[in-house]
Amino acid sequence: MNVFKISLANLKEKKLNSFLSALLLTLGIGMISLLLLLNKQLDEQFRRNIRGIDMVVGAKGSPLQLILSSIYQIDAPTGNVPLSEVDALRKNPFVKTVIPLSMGDSYQGFRIVGTTPKYTEHFQAKLAQGKLYNASMEVAIGSKVAAQSQLKIGDTFASSHGLDADGDTHKEKKYKVTGIFEPSGSVVDQLIITRLSSVWDVHEHAEEHGAHEESDEKQVTSALIQFRNPMGLLTIPRQINANTSMQAALPSIEINRLFTLLGVGIETLRTLALIIITIAGVSVFVSLYNSLKERKYEMALMLSMGATRSRLFLMLLLEGLMLAVIGFFAGIIASRVGLWLFSRAAEQDFHYSLRKFTILPQEIYLFFAALFIGFLASALPSLGIYRLNISRTLAEE
Amino acid sequence: MISSTNLRFAYSAKKTFSFPDIQCKDKETLLILGQSGKGKTTLLHLLALLLKPTSGDIMIAQKSVGNLSAEEATKVRAKNIGIIYQKPHFVSSLSVMDNILLSNYLADQPQNKQKARLLAEKLSFAEHLNKKTSQLSQGEQQRVSIARSLMNDPNVILADEPTSNLDDTNTQKVITLLKEQSASIGASLIVVTHDQRLKDEFSNQVFL
Repeated sequence: MNVFKISLANLKEKKLNSFLSALLLTLGIGMISLLLLLNKQLDEQFRRNIRGIDMVVGAKGSPLQLILSSIYQIDAPTGNVPLSEVDALRKNPFVKTVIPLSMGDSYQGFRIVGTTPKYTEHFQAKLAQGKLYNASMEVAIGSKVAAQSQLKIGDTFASSHGLDADGDTHKEKKYKVTGIFEPSGSVVDQLIITRLSSVWDVHEHAEEHGAHEESDEKQVTSALIQFRNPMGLLTIPRQINANTSMQAALPSIEINRLFTLLGVGIETLRTLALIIITIAGVSVFVSLYNSLKERKYEMALMLSMGATRSRLFLMLLLEGLMLAVIGFFAGIIASRVGLWLFSRAAEQDFHYSLRKFTILPQEIYLFFAALFIGFLASALPSLGIYRLNISRTLAEE
Repeated sequence: MISSTNLRFAYSAKKTFSFPDIQCKDKETLLILGQSGKGKTTLLHLLALLLKPTSGDIMIAQKSVGNLSAEEATKVRAKNIGIIYQKPHFVSSLSVMDNILLSNYLADQPQNKQKARLLAEKLSFAEHLNKKTSQLSQGEQQRVSIARSLMNDPNVILADEPTSNLDDTNTQKVITLLKEQSASIGASLIVVTHDQRLKDEFSNQVFL
């Protein structure tokens, strides 16, 4: 028998009230924690993939779409641009590297990207097995592609037209897998990478049978650009937008814009979570206040049996604190389950995974905030214990 | 051993009580009889140190305890006085066993489970020790509260209308148990009641 045991017994005695209070806390804490996790991991994912890419050029359209499609491979490309215009950028003294990308086909939902070896160098993708593609129609695949499609080295497959899994297949030309990359946490994990020429080959072949496109000029979807120094940032984007058929988009600006857009939603959810936590606090307050009215006689009885008022105060305080602790841990678990579900959906749609379940430093602050709410919500009604008239309470009933 | 001299208490200027002196030696019993409104509960609360007398003094175990501070009074009460209330009240969330042990715990005494079990057997509610108190009958509850009052071997046992909610058979049982148990630990037993059935059970009586 001790104060802790009595508090626990009291919580169990009012199961539904305790459950409601803990549930509200769980919900509020879970939401905040999930937001923290998502925010951090999205941020990490986005920043990791734009590292070292100063500018993206592609067909005119939405700059955000260009960034999303060329760097993150999650949106549709804006269109095609002539390779000659992209290659012209190489002559610019401020430009360090130009990595052309050609997209349009996919295999089982994974994008096939035609590019130069600089692309894999840039993302520091290392081969786990096999070797890098050498000839046209040879590919190296990312770790997630390998895991999900069961492709092995030496396997061949036909790509499908478009970026969805259900496009027409190019049955005539088959790709051959020559290498599999190590998991790198970057966008390479979810890509099938090949030479630029492969993409052209597949489509030239298709054109012979089908449409009438007469243009023999080689085209690419976009190009990732690295500058030699920050001066490039000041002049080149403006030049491109004004003088060529292409547009230039700056990843850092577009991603900040994206986060500002997302930020409104995150802010709203966070406010909602704070409101729920406040309601949880009120719920603890109300249920303790009510139970205290019912238990007034019990309190007087314990005081008459030798309990000090501080000890009873501590006992009531513990009830609130225990609810806070239960709510916190349930909330942390709930947020991990939420993240897992979210990640599963994101993997299906975008092939990105967000699976880091470790405790964030902010969550430790969240723990103290939960304790504080539990403390406040139980301390306020429990102060009445210091005003309780033992004799009158015992005589009244 | 408990005695009082010239006890007076005032709730307000108009509502004052003065009580006859009482004395109850160790192992003795005393019945205080009175109708409602005569200050029975007030006297009991004064003797239990739950109220502070306006004037007069109380002696428990040869020590003057009438004018102690609230904290001191709580300590003296926890160690020396066992109280049995009219309606047996308990901490409803705890089991019968824990309610009895609460008496030890709140008085900062070691928790004696063996003693609690022994008392439960003597007062014949041992099979209910793990139940909640609300699952017991009135008579059983009153016996539990007797056991609770005995846990710290008090000098004085004060019972406030212990039989008013009980039928004749249970009344007889409870009074016999109270007398037996207080005698066995050498305590003074004071019963405050308006229950005329108890008149013949006690040789020492005071009328308010």
